[in-house]
Amino acid sequence: MKNRMKRIAALLLAGTMVFSMAACSSGKSGSKDNETSNPSDNTTGEATVTEAQAEPITIKIAWWGSDKRHEYTQQLLDLYTELNPNVKFEASPSGWDGYFERLSTQAASGSMPDIVQMDYLYISTYAKNNSLADMQEFVDSGVIDVSNIDENILNTGSINSKRVGIPLSTSILAVTYNPTVIEAAGAEIPSDSWTWDDYIALNTKVAQATGEPSALVSIIGPFGDTNPFSYWVRQHGGVLFNADGTGLGYEDDAITADYFQMWQDMSDANVAPDPDEQSQLAAVGKEALPIVTDKAATTVEWNNFTSVVSGVNDKLKLALMPSSSEGKGLWLKPGMFFSVSESSKVKEECAKFINWIINSEEANDIIAGERGTPVSSAVRDYMMNSGKMTEQQVEMFGYVDKAAALAGETPAPDPSGIAEVNEAFAKAGNSVLYGQATAAEAAATFREQVTEILERNNAAK
Amino acid sequence: MKGKQSLAKSEYKRKDNIAGYVMLSPWLFGFVLMWFLPMVISIYYSFTDFNLLNEAKIIGFKNYIRIFTVDDTFRQALKVTFVYAIFLVPLRLAFALFVAMLLNTKHKGLGLYRTIYYIPSIIGGSIAVSIVWRQIFGNQGVIMSLLSAFGIVQKHSLLGNTKTALAVIILMGVWQFGSSMLIFLAALKQIPGSLYESARVDGAKSWRIFFKITIPMLTPTIFFNLILQIVNGFRVFTESYVITDGGPLDSTLSYVLYLYRRAFNYFDMGYSCALAWVLVVIIAVFTIVLFRTQNNWVHYESGGDD
Amino acid sequence: MVGMKKNKLNSVLFHFLSCTVGILMFYPLLWLFASSMKSNETMFKDAYSLIPEVFDIATNYQSAWEGVGGVSFLAFLGNTVFVTVLGMAGCVIISLFAAYAFTRIKFKGSKFWFSCVMVTMMIPSQVMVVPQYIILKKLNLIDTRVALALPWFFGTAFFIFMLVQFFRGVPKDLDEAAEIDGCGRISILFRILVPVVKPALVTASIFAFYWIWQDFFQPLIFMSTPSKYTLSLALNMFLDPNAYNNYGGLFAMSVLSLLPTLIFFIIFQRYLVDGIAMDGIKG
Repeated sequence: MKNRMKRIAALLLAGTMVFSMAACSSGKSGSKDNETSNPSDNTTGEATVTEAQAEPITIKIAWWGSDKRHEYTQQLLDLYTELNPNVKFEASPSGWDGYFERLSTQAASGSMPDIVQMDYLYISTYAKNNSLADMQEFVDSGVIDVSNIDENILNTGSINSKRVGIPLSTSILAVTYNPTVIEAAGAEIPSDSWTWDDYIALNTKVAQATGEPSALVSIIGPFGDTNPFSYWVRQHGGVLFNADGTGLGYEDDAITADYFQMWQDMSDANVAPDPDEQSQLAAVGKEALPIVTDKAATTVEWNNFTSVVSGVNDKLKLALMPSSSEGKGLWLKPGMFFSVSESSKVKEECAKFINWIINSEEANDIIAGERGTPVSSAVRDYMMNSGKMTEQQVEMFGYVDKAAALAGETPAPDPSGIAEVNEAFAKAGNSVLYGQATAAEAAATFREQVTEILERNNAAK
Repeated sequence: MKGKQSLAKSEYKRKDNIAGYVMLSPWLFGFVLMWFLPMVISIYYSFTDFNLLNEAKIIGFKNYIRIFTVDDTFRQALKVTFVYAIFLVPLRLAFALFVAMLLNTKHKGLGLYRTIYYIPSIIGGSIAVSIVWRQIFGNQGVIMSLLSAFGIVQKHSLLGNTKTALAVIILMGVWQFGSSMLIFLAALKQIPGSLYESARVDGAKSWRIFFKITIPMLTPTIFFNLILQIVNGFRVFTESYVITDGGPLDSTLSYVLYLYRRAFNYFDMGYSCALAWVLVVIIAVFTIVLFRTQNNWVHYESGGDD
Repeated sequence: MVGMKKNKLNSVLFHFLSCTVGILMFYPLLWLFASSMKSNETMFKDAYSLIPEVFDIATNYQSAWEGVGGVSFLAFLGNTVFVTVLGMAGCVIISLFAAYAFTRIKFKGSKFWFSCVMVTMMIPSQVMVVPQYIILKKLNLIDTRVALALPWFFGTAFFIFMLVQFFRGVPKDLDEAAEIDGCGRISILFRILVPVVKPALVTASIFAFYWIWQDFFQPLIFMSTPSKYTLSLALNMFLDPNAYNNYGGLFAMSVLSLLPTLIFFIIFQRYLVDGIAMDGIKG
């Protein structure tokens, strides 16, 4: 009896602990005194932040990347500290794997870093749950100068009329081609006015000459994510998702079916990789793509691809996406954002730093376009004229201007639930290639699943 | 079971109770901190709409209802995991025991072989492994070349075929038999040599020695390995994450890979916790059944646990 | 004569069999080692070849040695050793005590606690990590090396269960005899039981060493300052599928970080050989 009482008491105790812990997972009250961003500022308190010129400030900053990015970003932080001796950084570099797992766990306990590198894939989810600060006041007050940033691209960081992310770079879909392979097969170099038919014809010719698939879509394939498909939908007069993110933004399933069918035909003719070959490509990095190793003619990629792989192959060139002039398929996509967490106590200092990153010449000298084409047109001009850029970077920058002229309105950021939508899309597409469903059936399944996923994620609760 | 317990109750000595809890206390402390509290929290999450970023709201049994009514992927993942466990457990155990017996002999270079056989377990789930396995079983791999050399042309490689991909994943699980092997080896070392000697003096044949001495003396370890492999089999994650990422068409999507995606990629932590506890119940059922049977076949020199 | 011939045949067969299986086991390591010597530019042109087309050992190993994210390889190594040694020591000793309690002491609730041990083995760690993070944060342990050793330090289900099984394989008359001789529980444990289950303890230590050494998921979530990272986290910092990746440096560091585990195994596996068994004590 006594024992049972003890056990119940222990359970109750555990229960209260659990709930007090679970309660802290919101992290949005903003009044948590144990979570200052600066472990050493016990004396500074909270009110000092705005007039903090001389006050020591610590900014926690997290990003993902490869070792090269870690190295120069640390240089950036050091330089900034040199220029602003009161600002110190606590840096959390990370690979891509696990970056968002850690970030969401930190968010769950109200301890996100002050500045986080944010991806288009997840920004809506974080914004919807109020984890990211609204930076509009700093844009309004001029702390962050956005005058040289294209309106379209800037607004991709605006969700539910809150400015939750400042884009660092722009990317646009492009076809990267390998002139060596194309010439060897006796085919014609793509022109800016080429169509999907020309695209298929070129790759068919090359594939017949080499005996290997030639029409690649990055390492993930045409169904790896929804970006190339989004281009396809926009070209056919629709948008991929509706405005409130609760379902598909186009009515006609034939659009989906045609896309699936096109890739199935190419895959069957060994012009594009079959899913088997595709997973082989996905197992190794972009450096190993057949287009880089002179075995394939084209790949659909973002416009920074030639620059990314220039260390391995510096002969690759960019062409516009097929049928770019039809419809307004292209759009300026934000490469990545810097966002400030809602729980940060040093938002204005973060804003100043972000402003420095996107607008200053000295910062961009160090970044050297590694995070993608800079958003600021002034910085782009400066870099173009600096003479320090590689041939690939010049082409990458130039492509943005060329493609922007043809681009349509940038779509609303991917709705929350996009990772699950991508998975459903991949499964639908691959089921066609595996012959388990016809293109029309798969298109219908895709719509059904997307509707379920997006309603679950975004329906007003 | 119950009768035994109530009978035993009167036999507990105060001194033993104290000694038991003193010896157990370090573990108990860690258990409460790192396991018990987190478990309670995760059970709580499983009844909420927690997505990692929001303030969790209790939604009753909705997550559990969703698992059993609308979630097709859950059923697929469960099926994959069952098939994996059913094949992996006996294959890995048999292989591990076989190699352990082989290495328990007196040959030269045993240390080297032991090391080599343990390497797959050390190297674990790195990219190197994923690339090498593709190299063997992928579409330009060794197996495909062999098949086509024999005139068997397949549209898909073993890894790319929805019917055979899981077999490759199981094979990889068997390949990492090093841990089980070491445990068997340790147990074989613990069998008193005198038992073998007296058997040999009696003129027993080696197969008889194996079944009359080795196997019975090994049963506690076999039991341990069996439970362990069943638990690990149901919790398989790394193999399908690293080699196939669940593909093609979810044919290698393991249960834990699915709940991992739910938790961290789909921001569905509440649901993921519910999935986890459903899995715990499934594993527990198997474990309890096995524990119940152990009196029939497991031989303890110490005379069992009562 | 005939017997000797048969022995020789046996031996040849044994080695042939062991070698064939051995190559299968060894191959990925060989591949990793070969790749760590390839130049980054040609790394994947000859991905399937074991002999590098262009050697670039110096660059790769130098970059591995210099580390990543501004932290050197030696610093990562130091962190990893600290976490591993702390975690392993606690894990083996505390599991030993717990296993002893479960098998040799009759105390109230032992069955209940043993089922708790088993449940900790069944729950997927993927859903434990967020609550654990919250608790460690309350304790101010997030982003410390101690936090990485903690999940291991207090013993794990695997080791407790394993040692329980081994203890149960040891006849009770051994310790009963010692008890009559006036030995206390601690000395029974260390003088009687530990020597008998030494192979199991060595096995446990080997497992603990390499499991903690390559522990990835919890450290990934718990840590955020690179200077406190372990090697497995350092390796993870190399890769971003959308950037240019230094695979050469990554593979070189992989090789360097595997070495200690291998050495540890090679040193300790010899203790598996002289499992003294119960003969000495019984006889």
